[in-house]
Amino acid sequence: MSTSLTPPDSSDRVVPTDAERRQTARDEDAAGVRRARRASLVRYLGMPLFLALVLLGLFLWVGTQELDSIEARTLTAENLLGQTRQHITLTLYSTFFVLLLAVPLGILATRPRLRRYAPVIIGLGNAGQAIPSLGLLALLFYLFRTQPALPSTGPFPVVVSLVGYSFLPILRNTMVGLDQVDRFVLEAGKGMGMSNRKVLRSIELPLAVPVVLAGVRTALVLNVGTAALAFLFGGGGLGETIFAGFQLRRTPVLITGAILVAVLALLVDYLAGLIEEKLTPKGL
Amino acid sequence: MSDQTNGDPLARLGTDAETGETMIELQELTKRFPGQETPAVDRLSLSIPKGEIVVFVGPSGCGKTTSLKMINRIIEPSSGHIIIDGEDVTDIDPNHLRRRIGYVIQQIGLFPHIRIAENVATVPHLLGWDKDRTRERVDELLDVVGLPPEQYRERFPKELSGGQRQRVGGARALAADPPVLLMDEPFGAIAPITRTRLQNEFLRLQTELQKTICFVTHDIDEAIKMGDRIAILQEGSRVAQFATPEEILTHPANDFVEDFVGTGATLKRLKLTRVKEVEPTEALTGRVDEDRETLRQRFDASDWTAMLLLDRENKPLRWLRGPDLRQQDRPLEKAGVRTRALVEPQATLSDALEEMLLGAAGVAIVVDRRGAYRGLLDIDAIITSIQTMKDAQAEYYRAAKLADPEDEVPA
Repeated sequence: MSTSLTPPDSSDRVVPTDAERRQTARDEDAAGVRRARRASLVRYLGMPLFLALVLLGLFLWVGTQELDSIEARTLTAENLLGQTRQHITLTLYSTFFVLLLAVPLGILATRPRLRRYAPVIIGLGNAGQAIPSLGLLALLFYLFRTQPALPSTGPFPVVVSLVGYSFLPILRNTMVGLDQVDRFVLEAGKGMGMSNRKVLRSIELPLAVPVVLAGVRTALVLNVGTAALAFLFGGGGLGETIFAGFQLRRTPVLITGAILVAVLALLVDYLAGLIEEKLTPKGL
Repeated sequence: MSDQTNGDPLARLGTDAETGETMIELQELTKRFPGQETPAVDRLSLSIPKGEIVVFVGPSGCGKTTSLKMINRIIEPSSGHIIIDGEDVTDIDPNHLRRRIGYVIQQIGLFPHIRIAENVATVPHLLGWDKDRTRERVDELLDVVGLPPEQYRERFPKELSGGQRQRVGGARALAADPPVLLMDEPFGAIAPITRTRLQNEFLRLQTELQKTICFVTHDIDEAIKMGDRIAILQEGSRVAQFATPEEILTHPANDFVEDFVGTGATLKRLKLTRVKEVEPTEALTGRVDEDRETLRQRFDASDWTAMLLLDRENKPLRWLRGPDLRQQDRPLEKAGVRTRALVEPQATLSDALEEMLLGAAGVAIVVDRRGAYRGLLDIDAIITSIQTMKDAQAEYYRAAKLADPEDEVPA
C-alpha cells in the first residue's frame, strides 16, 4: 500500500500466466469432483453393503449351528419373511397415520391464534419421548383388553399404540421446524403481499421440511423398534421370533430375530435419510 | 432527485415547490401495542411528496420503524389514516396493498430455498404475470442492480455476499414497478465500503426511477446523504423537524434536533454535495495503446509531476512519473503505482475527501459507473465548494422564507 510514486517490486516476481492458472484450477476442480464422487459412493452404498454383509454373516453362522426341530421350524425363510413383512407393514401404517395427525396439528398449533399454547405442547412432546415404550404399550394393552368395544388383538391396537408413541415427537418437530423459520423471511413474504396461506405453503413448510423429516426419521426408527412388541397383541412381526427364542432358550432364534430387527431399523433409517436429502430444498 | 444534478440549493427548492403533489399522506397515525401505556406512534401526520426520498431518522425506540411498517400495514395502525396516491388504503385488503408497495428490510429476508430469479419474481407471480414477461423483467432488474442475470439467475441466496443479497432484495422490491418503496435500514447490516457503494448506486438509480421512498435509518449521516427531506422523530414518532437536509444542518428547529445532528455540521455538509456537482480538473493522461515516446514527450512538455495512464476503455491504470516513462524494460501497465482514490460522480464530497485522505495523495480520480476516467478532484476544489456552500446558504434561506412562509417547524 505504498503511496510514493515508485514502482512496487511485486511485478518482478515470477507469476504464473493466466493459462497456467486456469489449468491448475481445472485440475483442482477435476480432483475435487473425483473426491466428491468417491465420497458419495461410500455414502450411498456403504450402508446397504454393510447390512448385506451382516445378513450374510448371520446366514452363514446359523448354517454352522446344529439346529434342533424347534429351531428349524422357527427359522424358516417363509416364517421370517412373513414376520418381516408384518413388521414393515405395522411400521409404515403407524408412521402414515401419525404424519396424518401430528403434522397438521403442529401447523395449527403454530398459527398466531394458538401460538401461545405452543410452549406447552412442545413441553409435552419432550416429556412424551421420555415415556418408556414398553410401559405405554402395557397400558394400552390393558386398555384394549378391558374395553369390550375395542379389538383386543391384531394389527389395530398395535398401530394405535405406535401412533400414540410417535405422535408427540413428530408434533414437536413439526412445531420446532415451523418455529425456526427466520421471521424476517416471513415478514418479507408478507410485505410483498403473500396471503398467510401462501406464506405457509411457499415459505414456512418448505423451510420446515428438514426438521419435520428429521422427526419422521426418528419416529420411523422408533416404530421399527417398538413394533417388535407387537407380539403382545398378537400383532405379529419379528418380535415373535425374538420372544420365541427368549422363552424357549434357543439362542440362534433369539439372535436371528434381534439382528433382523436391527438391520431393518438401520435400513429404514438409511432410506429415510435418502428421502430427507431428496426433499430438503436445494438452497438450504 | 434530478434536481440534485445541480449543486445550487435554490434549484432544489424550486423543483420541490413545482411538484407539490403528495404521494403518501399519513393522518394522525397512531399505534398502541397491547399492554403498553404510551403509544409507540402518537398521532403522526406527514405528507410525503411524489418522487422524493423521505428519511425517518431518530434514536432507537422512537417509533420510526413502526411508523414505516404501518404504511404497508405489516403493523396495523390503531387509529388514523393512510392515503396513498389519493386513495385511503387504511381498510383495503392488505395483501393487495402490499403488492403495490416495494418493501426492503435490513435483514433482507430472501427466500433461502428458491433461486435468485424466483426470489425476484415473487410479486410478478402473485400478480399472475405470464412466464415470458416475468423472465424478461427479472433479467432486466438483475441487470439494473448490477448482477449479470446469466451469472446470478440460477444461484441460491446463500451463494451470495451480503451486499449482493441486498441488491437482490432491491430488485425483488422493484419487480412489479411499484410507485412507492418502503426501506427499513436497507444498508444497516452491510460492511461500510459496500454500503457507500450501494448508497451511491441507489441514488443514481433513483434519479432514473423517481420512486416515492420512505427510508428508515438511525444514522443521521445516512439520512443527510440519502434524503430529499428528513423527518427527525422523537419518542412516539413525534416530528421534531421535517425539512431538507440543508435546513436541518443549518437551522435545527430545537435542541433535540441539534443534539441529534451532533457536532461537525460543516463536515456533514460535505455529504450534501456530490462529486458531479463540482467541476473536475483535467489530469495529464496517456493511453496504454499510445507509444511510450509520445507519452514521454507529452509528459516532458507539461509541468505535471505524474501522468495518469488509462487502459483501452479509458479506465485509470497507473500513475507514471518521469523515470517510469524513460525506463524501457518494464511494460507501462506495470510501471509506476496503481491508481487509488477512485470516486463516482454520485459520491459525496465527504466520500471523496475520505478517499483522498486514505490515498494520501490529495487528489481523487473521478470515474463514471463503468470505471472510465472523467477528471480529477483535488482538495482545493473541496475547500472552494465549502466556501460557496456557505455563501449560497444565506441566499437560500432568504429564498426559502419567501417561497414557503409556513415553515414546517413545530411550535
